[in-house]
Amino acid sequence: MNTDIHSIDYKGKKIEFHPENPAEMDIPADELHEHLQNPSSARTQRLKSRCRWKHASAGEFVEKGVGAGIERMRLLTESHKATEGEPEPIRRAKGLKNILDNSTLVIQEDEFIVGYHAEDPNLFPLYPELSYMSVQDYLSTDYAPQPLTEAQEIVDYWKPFSLQKRCERYFDPVDLQRAYQVSTMEGPAFASGFNSVIPPYETVLEDGLQKRIDLAEQQIAHARKEMEAFPWDGTTKLQWIDKIDNWRAMTIACEAVIAWAQRHARLCRIVAENFETDPQRRKELLEIADICQRVPAEPAKGLKDAMQSKWFTYLICHAIERYASGYAQKEDSLLEPYYKISVVDKSFQPMTYGEVVELVEMERLKISEHGAGKSRAYREIFPGSNDLFILTLGGTRGDGSDACCDMTDAILEAAKRIRTTEPSIVFRYSKKNREKTLHWVFECIRDGLGYPSIKNDEMGVQQMRDYAKYSMNGNGATEEEAHYWVNVLCMSAGLAGRRKSQKTRSEGGSAIFPAKLLEIALNNGYDWSYSDMQLGPETGDARKFTSFDQLWEAFRKQYQYTIALCIRTKDVSRIFECRYLQMPFVSALDDGCMELGMDANELSEQPNGWHNPITSIVAGNSLVAIKKLVFDEQKYTMDQLLDALQANWEGYEEMHADFKNAPKWGNDDDEADILITRFYEEILGGEMRKNTNYSGGPVLPTGQAVGLYMEVGSRTGPTPDGRYGGEAADDGGISPYIGTDKKGPTAVLRSVAKVQKNQKANLLNQRFSVPIMRSKHGFNIWHAYMETWHDLNIDHIQLNVVSTEELKAAQREPEKHQDLIVRVSGFSARFVDIPTYGQNTIIARNEQDFKAEDLEYLSVDL
Amino acid sequence: MTTSTCNSCEFFFKTPNNARDFEKGKGDCVTSKQDEKGKYWLSRPVMEESLCCQSFKNKN
Repeated sequence: MNTDIHSIDYKGKKIEFHPENPAEMDIPADELHEHLQNPSSARTQRLKSRCRWKHASAGEFVEKGVGAGIERMRLLTESHKATEGEPEPIRRAKGLKNILDNSTLVIQEDEFIVGYHAEDPNLFPLYPELSYMSVQDYLSTDYAPQPLTEAQEIVDYWKPFSLQKRCERYFDPVDLQRAYQVSTMEGPAFASGFNSVIPPYETVLEDGLQKRIDLAEQQIAHARKEMEAFPWDGTTKLQWIDKIDNWRAMTIACEAVIAWAQRHARLCRIVAENFETDPQRRKELLEIADICQRVPAEPAKGLKDAMQSKWFTYLICHAIERYASGYAQKEDSLLEPYYKISVVDKSFQPMTYGEVVELVEMERLKISEHGAGKSRAYREIFPGSNDLFILTLGGTRGDGSDACCDMTDAILEAAKRIRTTEPSIVFRYSKKNREKTLHWVFECIRDGLGYPSIKNDEMGVQQMRDYAKYSMNGNGATEEEAHYWVNVLCMSAGLAGRRKSQKTRSEGGSAIFPAKLLEIALNNGYDWSYSDMQLGPETGDARKFTSFDQLWEAFRKQYQYTIALCIRTKDVSRIFECRYLQMPFVSALDDGCMELGMDANELSEQPNGWHNPITSIVAGNSLVAIKKLVFDEQKYTMDQLLDALQANWEGYEEMHADFKNAPKWGNDDDEADILITRFYEEILGGEMRKNTNYSGGPVLPTGQAVGLYMEVGSRTGPTPDGRYGGEAADDGGISPYIGTDKKGPTAVLRSVAKVQKNQKANLLNQRFSVPIMRSKHGFNIWHAYMETWHDLNIDHIQLNVVSTEELKAAQREPEKHQDLIVRVSGFSARFVDIPTYGQNTIIARNEQDFKAEDLEYLSVDL
Repeated sequence: MTTSTCNSCEFFFKTPNNARDFEKGKGDCVTSKQDEKGKYWLSRPVMEESLCCQSFKNKN
């Protein structure tokens, strides 16, 4: 490995950066990542070699043979037709039952965790009950479900019943047309079908589904008794009708899931007893059969039970009852009791720590081949990955003590060993976390996985307490529950556990694009560079603006119009989710839904409103440049600026250089930071929080770019920060623009720390020097950096540790770099599966070095 | 000419009486597939009197 990095004179010592592992001296720097995987067993090595990845690149699937199945939509349609006239929750439950009773089951060679969500491991299901547009789009691709004529009939059947159609009629067609441009805002949830959920895995593992059925039946019996009691009071007793329907739906759903799991048991037994010739595998299949016969019907008794039960639950909640992205769970805490039974006490399903690592590697590979029937737009914005799969570890327990445990370490060790892009990991960083676990976190990061991304534990806990105050039924998070939070998807904290978790993305999620909003604010609401239409209100001819405040207020109006439209589309979606997209299985798992007889879409005890501004720094830097060069120094006029932008700076080279060299965010320079801080706190957060969502809480910003900084960047014209039209935007949520953070890593921290008011979450995306991180000083430098980051009250950070040399080598010879993983923004991706446009944005990110002044600021002890 | 039914196929396995999804005449059609990524097993519910499919293999 190249160690030709300058040494540093620090506190009277010469600090050199040789690899901590001397063997790395012999590995060429441009192929380092191809030498880092180390699966814990021959089995997981085989499983990785034959993994059926479903990565997308530029919206297309990378591997041949991947496509959409027809089975789920066929069975759902069949049931929908057969149940006409029945209560909607019952129809939804029977739809799930029809799918589970009649679907094809899949078990692959070498698997220990079993279960899939489509009729073939190369396929994935579609959801015509959500968005007719996204399913229709599939029908015109090579991934179309077959037979095509039947698929078209199904789409046509669902169109009037789809979430999209039901919602569209409540919007002015002009607003809809603007929303569908995905230019100032992410498309409405009802038009994309994109969703998220935090399943209450805890109730499945602790209670088992049979107990949930018993609880629902007890509730029905109680309700009937109440209805029959004298005297009759229609003002209070009629409420039991909807509740009875919901409880009945829960029992139907849970019964169906148990039967489905037991079909898996039967399949394993049939294969073992009739076809399998290897005695060891035969024995293992019978063990899997035993597990699937018991769980999720019964509580998990050991770690293997827990993992299988969790997987079945995941499939139903995220892929069969309804589509939802994500893999939200507090996995270490969730599995810790079963780790104790199996590894420490060895009282059931005895295992060694090493076997737990292998089991987690197998779980990671199951997720890696999980296909998502996402719309084209969402395939485009997560290039190089399957979907957003993110679990959460670490943090603190309800009593405030460290929540890290040996299960945390096993999950991190498995991630480091098997090297897969999915699932990504969030680590909740607290100063109470034990050093042993922090070393595993660091090991993953320095191996270039891009995860764990690090969230500030205390900020997350406080946020749960703050949102609890808005609970409409007065039952928000308790102090103990506030400590049990996870990332809902890649950016925003939300409760996990038996009750009160977020069940739909109409609560929090989706994005707004400030750079495009600034562009249209400069053009009286008109988008000349992409959609060629009026995208917002007329806010005045910017050529006639005589003060910066006029531009500021024009932007505010564009932002107000668009953010209100964003939140309205989500809340309207929510109403129709409550009416027609009930989730009886998810509801059965939630203690609140079980107690109150309510559907999970409808019951909201803990508000968690958030929305994601993406491209904010392009907008912020642009405002800084306009204020300085047009209004403060009056070096240029608004006329000149708008002419230069219309010309994409061509013929305005000197002017372009001035705007490009104007002060930029991320250098601890108040000339940029004061205005941009005000922009975040007063406009992005301040205006957003004026909106109250379905759950009664304020909506707050959670800036994180995902792949949208590329997609929306390509739809955004030239901007006054010196960016050319179509170039990518900023890649974090509060990160400096690509390559403009020139004062080192600690200056970035000092800039970012200035934004504190009216925010829910903001991602800082940074890239660190490979030789420094892989040296024996790497952990100490990283740890000191993290302590400072935490002290500065910054919410979220993710780190790339990969050299430009290796990235460029992978561009030249992609076939030799299949294991090169990079952090895009909020998710990790296989570098060679990212389109060149996106690859170049990652190469262009500043590779932060640490100089003596940085180390002094961090008080590193070397 | 007689047409075979699932019941006489090697890949047909009757649903046990005590199974939650038991129905008279119902069974599992269990077949294997192999592609470049490896071998896998599929199971789908069928009725014993259904007409056989292309995968049919006589039990005897």
